[in-house]
Amino acid sequence: MSRFRRTIRENAVPFALISPAILVILIVVLLPLLFSFYTSFSNYKLIRPDTLWDWIGLRNYERIMGDWDFWVAFGRTVLFLTVALNLEMLFGLGLALLVNKITYGQRTMRTIMMFPMMFSPILVGFQFKYLFNDTIGLVNNALQALGITHEAIPFLVDRWWAFFSIAFAEIWMSTSIFAILILAGLFAMPKDPVEAAKVDGCSNWQVFRHITLPFLMPFIYIAMTIRSLDVARAYDVVDVMTGGGPAGRTELLWTLIARTAYDDARMGRANAMAYVSILLSIFFTWYFFRKLMDARKHLGAF
Amino acid sequence: MSKRFKTSVLSLAALTVAGAVSASDYGNFDGYTLRVKLIGGAQYEPLYTLIPQWEEATGAKVDILSRKSHFELDREMKQDIASGNIDYCMFSNHTNFAPQYDVMTQPLDGLIAEDTLAAFSPLVIEHATVKGELFSMPRHSDVSNMYYVKSLYEDADNQAKFKAEYGYDLTPPATWAQASDQAKFFTDAPDRYGTHFAGKDEGITGRFYEMLVAEGGALLNDDMSPAFNSPEGVAALNWFVDLYQAKAVPAGTTNYVWDDLGLGFAAGAVAFNLDWGGWAAYFNGDDSKIGGDVGIVLAPTGSSGKRTGWSGSHSFSMTKDCDNQEAATSLITFLTSHDAQMLEARAGILPTRTQVWDDVIAEFTADGNEYMVEIFAVYAESMANHAFTPPLIAEWGEISNALWPRLQAAILGDKTAQDALDEAAEDVLEVMEDAGYL
Repeated sequence: MSRFRRTIRENAVPFALISPAILVILIVVLLPLLFSFYTSFSNYKLIRPDTLWDWIGLRNYERIMGDWDFWVAFGRTVLFLTVALNLEMLFGLGLALLVNKITYGQRTMRTIMMFPMMFSPILVGFQFKYLFNDTIGLVNNALQALGITHEAIPFLVDRWWAFFSIAFAEIWMSTSIFAILILAGLFAMPKDPVEAAKVDGCSNWQVFRHITLPFLMPFIYIAMTIRSLDVARAYDVVDVMTGGGPAGRTELLWTLIARTAYDDARMGRANAMAYVSILLSIFFTWYFFRKLMDARKHLGAF
Repeated sequence: MSKRFKTSVLSLAALTVAGAVSASDYGNFDGYTLRVKLIGGAQYEPLYTLIPQWEEATGAKVDILSRKSHFELDREMKQDIASGNIDYCMFSNHTNFAPQYDVMTQPLDGLIAEDTLAAFSPLVIEHATVKGELFSMPRHSDVSNMYYVKSLYEDADNQAKFKAEYGYDLTPPATWAQASDQAKFFTDAPDRYGTHFAGKDEGITGRFYEMLVAEGGALLNDDMSPAFNSPEGVAALNWFVDLYQAKAVPAGTTNYVWDDLGLGFAAGAVAFNLDWGGWAAYFNGDDSKIGGDVGIVLAPTGSSGKRTGWSGSHSFSMTKDCDNQEAATSLITFLTSHDAQMLEARAGILPTRTQVWDDVIAEFTADGNEYMVEIFAVYAESMANHAFTPPLIAEWGEISNALWPRLQAAILGDKTAQDALDEAAEDVLEVMEDAGYL
C-alpha cells in the first residue's frame, strides 16, 4: 500500500498531466463501450426505454450463433474487405507510381486524385446507383448503344454483379487514400539504392520488385490498417445502392446491424452482433499491424 | 398600369388569406418558440410555406429542428426516445408507424375541438386512433390506384392482338389476374415493361400485404401469430414472382422505391403503374413523357373479390413533454385546416377533411380539368370503401423487415414462395413472442 502511495506521490505531476486525457477517453470511449456491452445482454429496444433493465443473459448471443443470415453477412463482409482493400491497394500503387513519374502538373494531379475522397459516401452511393440502374442507368445505356448487349444487365440485382457494383463504388471512393499514402512513401524513398541498382544492370522490374516495393510496404500496411478501420464508411454507399438487398445478396454486417438497431429498434441484439463482428476488426488490425512490424524489420528500421 | 393592377390583386389576395387565418383564431402565443420536427421532401414542403401565416397570426415562432425523409426521421425519433431528449412539441407522424412512438406521444383527445374533428373523414380518424386514443391528426392520406397509358389501351392493333391471345377485351385491369396478363402483353423490353412495383423495404411488404388481403388472407391470426404463410399468402406472393420470372417487370424493380416508380411511369417505361395520388398532376403534366395520355381506374380486385387498398395517413402529433400544448394544438389544427389541405389537394394529394374533397373537385370542375376530377372521384371511392391499414401495432416495422428480404428471395427465384413465407413467419413469431403477444 505504501509502495502504491509512494508511486503516486513520486509521479504526481505526470499523473495530473495525463489525467484529463484519461478522463476524456473514459467518458468518450470506455463508458459507451461498457454501456453497449451491457445492452448486448439485455432485450433493449430503442422505443421501449424500460427494456434497458430487461436482462436476458446470453440469449442475444445464442440467437446470433444460430442465425444463418448473420453468418452469411459476416462471410460476405470478410470477402468484401478482402476484395476491396486488395484492389484499392493495387490501383493505389499503380496510380502513385504513375503520378510519381509526372514532371509537370504533379500537384494538380495529386489534388484531382483526391476528389473522390471529398464526396460524401451518400452522394457516391446515389451516383453509382444511377450509373448502374438497369433501365435509366448510364452504363446499361452505353452498353446497349454500343451494341455490346441488347438486354439490360441487372447490375444491382444479380448476386455477383451486385457485389461487383458495391465493391466498384467503394474502390472508386477510397483508392486515392492508398495512392496518397504510397505516393508519400515514394517521395520519402532515397534515390541512391535505385541508382546503384541501375548501374549494376538491374531491370526496371527488378528495381521495383526488390527495392521500391519493400521500401513501400510499411506505407502500404499503414494504409491497409487505416482503411480496414474506416472501411465501414462504405455502409452509406451500400445502404443507398442496394440497402443490403435484394434478398440479402449484398447484406454486409453494417447494413444488417443498422437495420436491426434502428429500423427494428432492437438495440440489444444489434449490439451483440456488433460485439461479435468486432472480432473481425480486431483480427484485421492485428494482422496488418503484424505485417507492418515485419516490413519495418525487413527494412532495418528497428 | 397592368403591373400595378396585378400587384393590387396580389396584395388583396394576401390580405384575404391573412384575414382568413386570423379570423380562425389560432390563439396568441406572443414571443413563444414552438420547436418541431417535420417530414421533408418535394411533396411535403409546399404546406410549410403557410407556417409564416400562422406565426404572424399568433405571434409565435416555429423552429424546425429536423426536416428529413420519413425513414431518417423515424431513426431520429427512436434515438430521441432512447435518450429521453424530447425537447420539441410537435412532430410529423404516420398512422401506420404511430404506435411505435407511443412512449413520447401525447394523445390529442380533448385538445382538438370536437367540431374540428367532425370535419374529418371518420375512417381516417379511426386509422389515427391507437388503443382508443387519438395519436395524431391526419394531414393527408395515401392509397394507391391504377394509372395507365391510355393510347396503349386505345390502340386498335393492341386490342385485336390481346383479344386473340387472351380471349377477352383489352380494358384497364379489373382484376390482378388481368393485370398480370396485360403486363406480359405490353412488355417490349428493354424499351417498355408491363408494369413495375416497389421491390424493397416497407414498399414490397405493403404491396404483398394488400395483395394478401385481396386474396382473402390475413397477416396475423387473432392471437397475433403470423398467418401470412397460408395458401392465400403463397398466391399473393406468386403474383409478383410470376411477373418477375416472365420478365414483364424491370429486373431492377426489387431495388425500386416510390420515386423510381413515379419517375419511371412518367418516362413511359411501363404501361400501367399502381401509385398514390401525389403523382397525379405530375404524370399528366408537361414534364411527363406521357402527359395528356394518362388514365386511372380503381385498384384491381384479387381472387376474393376484394380490392387492394393498403393505406395510411401522414399526420402530426404532439409530444408528451410539450411545454405549450395550446400552441402545438394550434399549429396542428392550422396545418390540417381546410385551406392547408386545399393547397396539397390541388397537386393530387388526398385530403382528410370531407369538405376539401368536394371543394377541390368543384375547383377542378370549374377549371375544366377533367383529368383531376376523375382522379379525385377514383381516390374518393377508394378511400371511402376499399382502404385498410396494416395492423396498428408497434411491431409493424419489424414484421416488415422480417418479410421483405424473404419476399425478394422468392421474387428473384432463390426460394419458393412457401419456403420464403415460412421463414419469414418464423422470424415474425419471434418478434411477436419478444413483444409479449404470445
